[in-house]
Amino acid sequence: MSIESQPQQYRIDPHARFRVMGDEGVFVLQEAREVLVVNQVGAFIVKELEGARSLDELVAAITERYDVDSKRARADASSLLASLLKAGAIKQL
Amino acid sequence: MSALTVEFAGSRYRFAGLNPEQDGRVRSRFQALLGRDEAVADVRVDIHFDPNSSAFMRRPLGPVEYPIAVVPSDKSIAVAGIGFTANIDRSPLRAQMQTCLSDEWFLGAFENLFRIIACHRIFSEGGLILHSAAFTDGARGFLFCGRSGAGKTTLCGLADELDFEILSDELNAIRPVGGSFELLAMPFAGDFGGEPRCHPPYPLTGLLGLAHGATPSVYPCSKAQSASRIVASCPYVNSDPALVDELTSRVAELIVHVPVRILSFSKDVRFWSVLDHEYRIPTAAVSH
Repeated sequence: MSIESQPQQYRIDPHARFRVMGDEGVFVLQEAREVLVVNQVGAFIVKELEGARSLDELVAAITERYDVDSKRARADASSLLASLLKAGAIKQL
Repeated sequence: MSALTVEFAGSRYRFAGLNPEQDGRVRSRFQALLGRDEAVADVRVDIHFDPNSSAFMRRPLGPVEYPIAVVPSDKSIAVAGIGFTANIDRSPLRAQMQTCLSDEWFLGAFENLFRIIACHRIFSEGGLILHSAAFTDGARGFLFCGRSGAGKTTLCGLADELDFEILSDELNAIRPVGGSFELLAMPFAGDFGGEPRCHPPYPLTGLLGLAHGATPSVYPCSKAQSASRIVASCPYVNSDPALVDELTSRVAELIVHVPVRILSFSKDVRFWSVLDHEYRIPTAAVSH
């Protein structure tokens, strides 16, 4: 099942630590012993995930913040969510 | 039973309860760093010899890297490795080690535990220990962080060819001093380096990550990439839930004062001319 067809909300995994540094963001994933960097848009999305957000809510936030259409925003957010889920940086609620 | 004190990076570590064979091995290894026994120790480690080897992780049959388990909890850190277990109390920082080892395997167990204790001690003093290589040209200190295979030992070998002083190709410490940072040698070396030696602190001039490239170059790194590299290079502390927030704050402060750059190099000494130029200390000059 793709991310798009799921109604779930997402948020930062409680075991992960996130911090914005400069224009980007850093995830410290202690359980996986990994440190991830997300770019500027990724950092914006992850900051949104400090609270529970659905994909639709993320797309709305991205299009309001950046000059991008909702199709592109949805594709970017879906891709990022999938990567962060796989890494254990965020979780589905 | 005997006791001894090992002193480096401004801290004294007192090890008590050593049997004669253990004592001899530790004294031999850390000879240059043995401190005065009557001095007050910053960290005390009590060692209990238990000859019942079935109570501990067994030795492997062939050559192997020392596996070690480190489990942090709120008030202490549990450690287990081949032939030993240990508990490290966070505050005050002190440790108890149980071991069935006295032979050459003891030194491996001892150093494994000592690394962890030293990481926590230096962190508690405001510093950081990084999985890194470091050398000095006598005036400037350069630290290169990176995981295994990044090229740390290779770089140390090249720096050695240039007659620079190698601090360690495995673990090095940095700590803030005023508005800058200083580089401190740790008595733990990987493939490169022999007996631990006393080193003075050096100014941390260059803080770099490593990359492989045909032509040597130094290029900047974003703040997030810098922080990522540094945090990933801080063993034990970066996997401790009680310390990770302080760690990221400290790293954020560090990279403001000493920006991280990337050294791209190949296996030859040409890297030095690039590095030397990048970090050349400005000298006073008058032009007419």
